[in-house]
Amino acid sequence: MDELYLDNIDEYVNDHDKIVTYKWLSLTLGVHVNTAKQMLYHYLDHKRKESSAQLHATYLVSGKFVDKGQTSHLVSVVREDQLEDCKARMSLIVSVHVYSVQKALLRDSSPLYSVDYDAVRDHLQSCAKYSAIRCTSAVPLSSVELQQARERQPAPTPEPVVKVPSVNGEASHPSKPSTKSQKGIMGMFSNKAAPKHQDSVTEVKLEQKEVVKPEVEPPKSKAAAKVSPALNFFGNQKTKKPNKSDKADESLQSSSRLEQQQHQSSPPEKKPEAAAEESTKGSKKESRSKTKRTVDSDSEEEKMDKKKRRRIKKPEPDSSDEDIIPDSPQPMQTKEPEPEPSPPPPSPPQKEFESVSHSHSVPGGTKIRKRRRVLKPKTFVDDEGCIVTEKVYESESYSEAEDEAPVKQAPTKCSTAKLHAAGNNKEEEKKSQKKTSANTNKGTKQASIMGFFQKK
Amino acid sequence: MFSELSAQQRGSSLLCRPASSEDQGPVFERASQSYCPRSERYTVGERSFSRQYAHIYAARLMQMRPLLSQRAENKWGSDVAIRRLCHLQTGEQCCIVGTLFKRMELQPSILKEISEEHNLLPQPPRAKYIGEADEVILEDELQRIKLEGKIDRDRCITGSIVAVYGAERNDGKFTVEDFCTADLPAQPERPALDSDRYVLLASGLGLGSTNADSMLGLQLLIDMVGGQLGEQREQSATANIARVLLAGGLLSQSAQDKDASTKAKYQTKKTQAGSVEAVRQLDELLLQLVASVPVDVMPGQYDPTNYTPQQQPLHRCMFPLSSVYPTLQLVSNPYQADVDGVRFLGTSGQNVSDIQKYTSMDSHLEILEETLRLRHLAPTAPDTLGCYPFYQRDPFILEECPHVYFSGSAPSFDSKLIKGADGQQVLLVTVPEFCSTQTACLVNLRTLDVEPISFSAFSADGDEDSEMNVSH
Repeated sequence: MDELYLDNIDEYVNDHDKIVTYKWLSLTLGVHVNTAKQMLYHYLDHKRKESSAQLHATYLVSGKFVDKGQTSHLVSVVREDQLEDCKARMSLIVSVHVYSVQKALLRDSSPLYSVDYDAVRDHLQSCAKYSAIRCTSAVPLSSVELQQARERQPAPTPEPVVKVPSVNGEASHPSKPSTKSQKGIMGMFSNKAAPKHQDSVTEVKLEQKEVVKPEVEPPKSKAAAKVSPALNFFGNQKTKKPNKSDKADESLQSSSRLEQQQHQSSPPEKKPEAAAEESTKGSKKESRSKTKRTVDSDSEEEKMDKKKRRRIKKPEPDSSDEDIIPDSPQPMQTKEPEPEPSPPPPSPPQKEFESVSHSHSVPGGTKIRKRRRVLKPKTFVDDEGCIVTEKVYESESYSEAEDEAPVKQAPTKCSTAKLHAAGNNKEEEKKSQKKTSANTNKGTKQASIMGFFQKK
Repeated sequence: MFSELSAQQRGSSLLCRPASSEDQGPVFERASQSYCPRSERYTVGERSFSRQYAHIYAARLMQMRPLLSQRAENKWGSDVAIRRLCHLQTGEQCCIVGTLFKRMELQPSILKEISEEHNLLPQPPRAKYIGEADEVILEDELQRIKLEGKIDRDRCITGSIVAVYGAERNDGKFTVEDFCTADLPAQPERPALDSDRYVLLASGLGLGSTNADSMLGLQLLIDMVGGQLGEQREQSATANIARVLLAGGLLSQSAQDKDASTKAKYQTKKTQAGSVEAVRQLDELLLQLVASVPVDVMPGQYDPTNYTPQQQPLHRCMFPLSSVYPTLQLVSNPYQADVDGVRFLGTSGQNVSDIQKYTSMDSHLEILEETLRLRHLAPTAPDTLGCYPFYQRDPFILEECPHVYFSGSAPSFDSKLIKGADGQQVLLVTVPEFCSTQTACLVNLRTLDVEPISFSAFSADGDEDSEMNVSH
């Protein structure tokens, strides 16, 4: 078994043409650094005796060095040909060992650095495991202790703009698994974009606001510092519980300009529609760039998300004219990102605003009871004294298992939630609108225009 | 000397076959030490900038006047007349205590710049602002008077409190015959240590710069301190390095994105600030360090914290990977701490380089000694060095004499052991910039000795192994 490493090193050096440093070897094979150094030496020796393989090595020399009367301790990496020279220059040699073995002659020592850098990055958490010095106090704090340490620190201001991902990781809700993170980003945007109902603010679930809120929540609960901060940041968006509306209320004041935009978009008119869309789009972009800045570790995920965002953004301008296209939960699930909201169309007499929270549109394996929008007929008396029955979306709580078939029904003139689906969703809804209108038409016993053709 | 210590340890050579036994290799315990931070005075409480800076001088003078009076009496006899400037009489030999102010023509003055009658363009930065026509003025609470005589104009530092002895001449100027400074304060006792313990001082890591030549040196430093480099005996000696202190200069100047402030926001929206990548690199480096040794990190001039040198510690949110370890200490600049009973006090070097610009002194070590003798860390604050407008007390006044007094980001390594009048012993260390010199300092706590450690690597242009990298 002892000779196995020789073959390993051989493979790395010759076949993969790598520069094998002692540190890289120690991390890769999981051995003590001194053992790795000895292995390298042995391999070098062995190979040189065996065949005149073209192998080059660099050595590390350290010792006392006197220069113009100033003694210092010098640690230096030298090529093999410079080794004797360097040893001669030192007045007292403390250690000499092999630093790296490679096939090509190195002119410059910077590749050595990059090899070590990559090795350390791949094994970040165990970089000190194989070293010769152990420090007893260098034990990572557990999450409980970390939280205590954070609480002892002065609380951050309520408006951290560029946010510490780990701070965001402290929602009072468990963070969702990473598979949800992608949905989460979209959820964040769609929620944010959900149009604002000015008066019924309290009724409003305010989930879209929550999305902005996680940034604002003071660091409370346990640290999820070790978990990728980005995921936590996004993971927050999906957790939507009704009790969050309280938090949303208090965070209302401290929310960003997004809210102002939403407030501005509240006058329900067609005109501000486009403007609001622009502003929300802009805010989304800004928040997107903000989130991009905070998330530096999960760049890949970001790119994916950005691509998704970009795809979705295109059909947005088309939707600006569309009135009442509320989404059904199912299409939202399949199509993930909801790009834009359109602000509420002209307010019908009764404004029951329900926002759709993305969290329950997100698929996933969680078994949490969520709310969804269901088309239900509602009977009420309008201001003219007439009794009106309308089909509206209402929130209903359900659990994952129940949600089967997509609910593809267009609401009638009272439009509520404003989550725009992708373009194809729109078309489906238009068709379904036509269908439902056809249905209702049948109810009134009027012959449809197609009846002319059918009777033939 | 560290080298000798290493050579004395036992250990086998590594130029041999690995032992076939399952022995994983020796593991040494890191020397532990008692540590007590004492930089509470440098943390800024409430930050109200609505005060005048003049209060600083008043507080400074008020605090130092009794000390100086004491010194003056010691030096010139207890019967020397210590006068206020308003009570000065012509021709009388007396001693006055006040703040020095050096009026320099070349000193950039904001008033001159914005004044329209002068029509001046902003002055380009210079290396030195002293000139021939400088004047030294002594101020106390109420008046000021010009000084001449045996006072070395080029070595005077604005803002220092001194006592001068002489007489006023007819023309309203004070002729100086002698002067004295507050000198070293009392020093707490240093306990005797039985074994060699070391503290590594390094500064000027210069991360995020476009020129990455020093990265291998930095990696070698981290590996050495972490116990990965070297043979067994060196590793066992390295286990005696009980602490690492990074005295500022973590990010290089080029990591500061100057364009960000001038460019329009929409142009820079998708670009990351240069310092983000640099801080991430720093975090990874720190992670390797803190996993095996306690580290104190002081911010420097270009590091992401506030500008004025009473810099607050870097925020732990920037170091998600390494702040999990309790061995990482983010501390303020200036910094004071007791390590194994040895009092360390130092800054990241902004005060020293500022004084260097306004006096003829060039050696950082000389300036360091001067500030110690003046008993003030940064006398030029707030005149030419930014600071926070405190008004009740001046936190830069040294109240207790440190055992090791250092400043970071120096051009080269230097050290000196000075002795005070009351038997104080202070080791002055100028910590060189690592990115240019590849040198760090190792302070031996037992003997109050310091030694430079250099790291070098080979590069394409022949052998520049040792000569360039060892201090002066």
